[in-house]
Amino acid sequence: MDRRMFLKSTAGTGAMAAAGSLSAPAIAQGSSRVLKFVPQSNLANFDPVWGTQYVVRNASQLVWDTLYGMDSKLVAKRQMVEGEEVSADGLTWTFKLRPGLKFHDGAPVLSRDVVASINRWSQRDPMGLMLRAIQKELTAVDDRTFRWVLSRPYPKMLLALGKVGTPCCFIMPERIAITDPFKQVTEYVGSGPMRFVRADWKPGALAAFEKFSDYVPRNEPAEWWSGGKVVNFDRIEWVIMPDPATASAALQSGEIDWWESPVPDLVPLLRRNRNVRLDIADPLGNIGAFRLNHLHPPFNDVRVRRAVQMALSQEDYMRAVVGSDDKLWKTIPSFFTPGTALYTEAGGDNLRGKRDLDKARALLKEAGYSGQPVTCLVAQDQPALKAMGEVTADLLKRLGMNVDFVATDWGTVGQRRASRNPPGQGGWGMFHTWHAGADCATPVGNIAIRTAGEKAWFGWPDNPAIEKDIASWYDAKTLDEEKSIIERVNRGGMEHVTYIPTGFYLAFQAWRASVSGINSGPLPWFWNVKKA
Amino acid sequence: MLGYLLRRVLSTIPVMALVALFVFSLLYVAPGDPAAVIAGEQASPEDVEKIRMALGLDRPFVVRFFEWSFAVLSGDLGVSMFTGLPVTELIGQRIEPTLSLMLVTITLSALVAVPLGVIAAWKAGSWWDRMFMALAVLGFSVPVFVVGYLLAYWFALEFDWFPVQGYTPIAKGFWPWLQNLILPSIALGFVYIALIARITRATMLEALSQDYVRTARAKGVAEGAILYLHALKNAAVPIATVIGIGVALLIGGAVVTESVFAIPGLGRLTIDAIVRRDYPMIQGIVLMFSFVYVLVNLAVDLVYVALDPRIRY
Repeated sequence: MDRRMFLKSTAGTGAMAAAGSLSAPAIAQGSSRVLKFVPQSNLANFDPVWGTQYVVRNASQLVWDTLYGMDSKLVAKRQMVEGEEVSADGLTWTFKLRPGLKFHDGAPVLSRDVVASINRWSQRDPMGLMLRAIQKELTAVDDRTFRWVLSRPYPKMLLALGKVGTPCCFIMPERIAITDPFKQVTEYVGSGPMRFVRADWKPGALAAFEKFSDYVPRNEPAEWWSGGKVVNFDRIEWVIMPDPATASAALQSGEIDWWESPVPDLVPLLRRNRNVRLDIADPLGNIGAFRLNHLHPPFNDVRVRRAVQMALSQEDYMRAVVGSDDKLWKTIPSFFTPGTALYTEAGGDNLRGKRDLDKARALLKEAGYSGQPVTCLVAQDQPALKAMGEVTADLLKRLGMNVDFVATDWGTVGQRRASRNPPGQGGWGMFHTWHAGADCATPVGNIAIRTAGEKAWFGWPDNPAIEKDIASWYDAKTLDEEKSIIERVNRGGMEHVTYIPTGFYLAFQAWRASVSGINSGPLPWFWNVKKA
Repeated sequence: MLGYLLRRVLSTIPVMALVALFVFSLLYVAPGDPAAVIAGEQASPEDVEKIRMALGLDRPFVVRFFEWSFAVLSGDLGVSMFTGLPVTELIGQRIEPTLSLMLVTITLSALVAVPLGVIAAWKAGSWWDRMFMALAVLGFSVPVFVVGYLLAYWFALEFDWFPVQGYTPIAKGFWPWLQNLILPSIALGFVYIALIARITRATMLEALSQDYVRTARAKGVAEGAILYLHALKNAAVPIATVIGIGVALLIGGAVVTESVFAIPGLGRLTIDAIVRRDYPMIQGIVLMFSFVYVLVNLAVDLVYVALDPRIRY
C-alpha cells in the first residue's frame, strides 16, 4: 500500500466513523409499533404445559388465550368463554365459547380443541389432577359448547381454568394438544392476540411475536389477565440479556423499552435517569423460604425444626436479598401472600418478636441434637438464594449446629433435592427457594404447604390433619369458610414447621419514559401498553 | 504436503472420538438434572421423573453413548432437550456472531500488537518499551468483563458512539455489523494484544541480535526494512503459533464478552446449555469447538511453511 492509498483508506474509515457518529442516535431509536422487552430469563422452550417455568407462561399468554382470566382481585373472569352453566347439584358444568375465536392458522377455535387442551393441561396441573380424579366425562357438545360432568361438586372450577399459577390452561388446536404432556410440542399455533414468529426464535437471544389481526378482544376493559387484550404493537421482541448491567445500560441508552426484572443494586442508578421509569413489578411479590428434610435427622424431629424457626430473623434474610430499601420487604409469619383475601398470621408467633437464640439452643439440646452435619444446599447462581443461604449458615453456626454448606448451582440443587437418601449419601438437610406471591395466595399454587408425606413437595412433610384441612378448602363455598380453613392450615403448618418462610419481598420493573400503560401484576401484561 | 494434510485431517478422527467419549462421560457423572430444570420449581417429584423418562435419561450409559455416537457419525448432533430444536440449527444460529467476534478481534489484535511488540523490541529499554510492556501487563491483569463494562459505559452510554449490546448480521451491512463488534472486540482483544505484543517483543529481540541484522545495518538498509522485512519475517513463526494458540483463549473470552455485550453467539449458548444441563447441546458445542481448534492448529502448521521456506512436511 502506498501513501496515497493509505490516506484514501483512512479517509474512508474516518468518513465511516463520522457516519457512525451522525447516525448514533439511530442506535437508540425504534418504531413506536415495535416494543423491545427484556424478560426475567431466557425463553428456552415454548410449551407452557411441558415446561412450567414462569418465563414460558409469560410468553405463552401473548400467544395462547385462556378460557378464564384473573383480574386484580384474583377473581376468574370469562375470557374465551361466553358463558357457563352449572347444574343445581354442582356436578355438570356446561361452557359456551365466544363466537369468532380463531387460531393463528385461521381455523376456528372449536370445543374439541378446548377439550383436548384441558385434557393435556389437567395431566400436569395439581387442580387439573383433582378434577380428573372426579371427572365422569369431558365432551364437546357442539362446535362452541363443551360439558364437564363430575362425580362430586368442585366449586373452584373457574379458578382452576383461569389461575395464573403454572401450568395454565392455554387453548391450543386439538392436533397439538393431543401431544403427551411430558413431551414438548413442536408447533406453536396460538389462540391469543400475538403470533409466535418461529423463524425469528433464537433461544437465549431473541423471541418475537407479531400481532394477530383476527384476534377478537373482549369488550370489557383489560384488567390483569382479564378483559379486552388490545395490543398496540405490530411486533414485540423479547431480547434476552443475562447480564443485568448490560440490560441497565441498554435501557438507559434507549436500545430496549422495558426491563422486567432490574436487580436491586441497579435501581438507584436507573432512578437517576430521567428517561427511565420504575415501579413495583408485582404487588404480590415473592416469598423466600427454606425447605427442611423431614425424612432424616436432624430435621425429622419437629423440635429441631422449631428451634431454627424461633431463632431466625426474617429481617436478616430480607436485607440480604433486597438491600436497604425497607419498602421492598416485610416480615410474614405466614405461608400466604400478604394483601390477599386469605392472608393470615394465625399460629405464626414463633416467627414474630425478639429472636431468642438461647431458647432455641435449649430446644436443640432437648431434642438430643449432638452435632450431626446439616447439609445445606445453596445455589450460587441465584443471587436471592445465595444471600439466603449465607444468612442460614451463619444462623445455624450461631445455634451451634454443624453446617455442611454445599455451594453449588441451581441445576444441581434441582437434582439433589429429589434424593430421599440420607444427607451423607447424596441427600440433603435443607435447601433455599422462593415462591411467587401469586402462587401463595391460595392453596392452589402453594404446593409447599402440602404435607402428604411421600407425595408432598421436596422435604416430604407428613401431617394428615393439615392435608385434610387443605382438601376441605377446595370444597368451601364462602370466603369466610375459606378464611377459617386457611387459618387452621397456617397454624398447623407453623406448628409442624412444614417449611420456614424467610420473608416477603418485592421487585422493580423499569421502562423508558416513552412507554405508557405498564401495570403491576404477577406477570408482564402487554395489552394497553403504548410507545410514543 | 498433500500427504501431510491428509494425515493431519485423518488424525483428527481419533482426537474427536476421544473428545466425544470424554465429554459424554463427564456429563454423565456430573451432578444436575435437566428434567428438574424443565419441570420448573413447582413440579412434583413424579413429574420430574416422568420427564426424565421421556427424555431417555433413565437408560444405561452405554446405550445412550452408542446411540449418540452413531447419530453424530451421520451428522446428527441431536435435539436440544429444552428448545426441542436440532443442535445443528441452534449452533448455526449462533456461529456467525462468534466467528465475526473472533475474526475482528484477531485482526484488531494482530494489527495493534505486532507493531507494538516490534517497536518495543526496537526501542528495548527505552520508555516506549516500558510503556508498551506496562500496557501488556495491564492487558493480562484486567478481566475482560471489567474492560467491557468500562468501554460500554464510556463509548456507548456517555459518548453514544456505539450500541451497548447486540449483534447485526453482516448481511445487513458492513458498518452496522462492525459497529456492534468494535467494543466487544477491543474488550476481548485486550489480553490477546498483551500476549501477542510480549511474544513479538521477545522474538524480535532475539532476531535483532542476529548477525544478518548487523550485516543489513552495515550495508545501510533502512531501519524499517530491517525491522519488518528481515527481523519480523524470521520472528514470525512463534508469533503465528501464539495467534493460533490464542484462539482457545478467544473461545474462553468470548463466553464472557458475549454475555457482557449480549451478543447471541456460541459462548452464551454454551453457558445456557451448561446451566440447564442440556446434554446434547453441550456435547455438540464442545465437539464443534474441538474441531475448530484442531483446524486452527492445522492452519497454523501450514502457515509455518509460508513464513519459513526451510520447514517441510
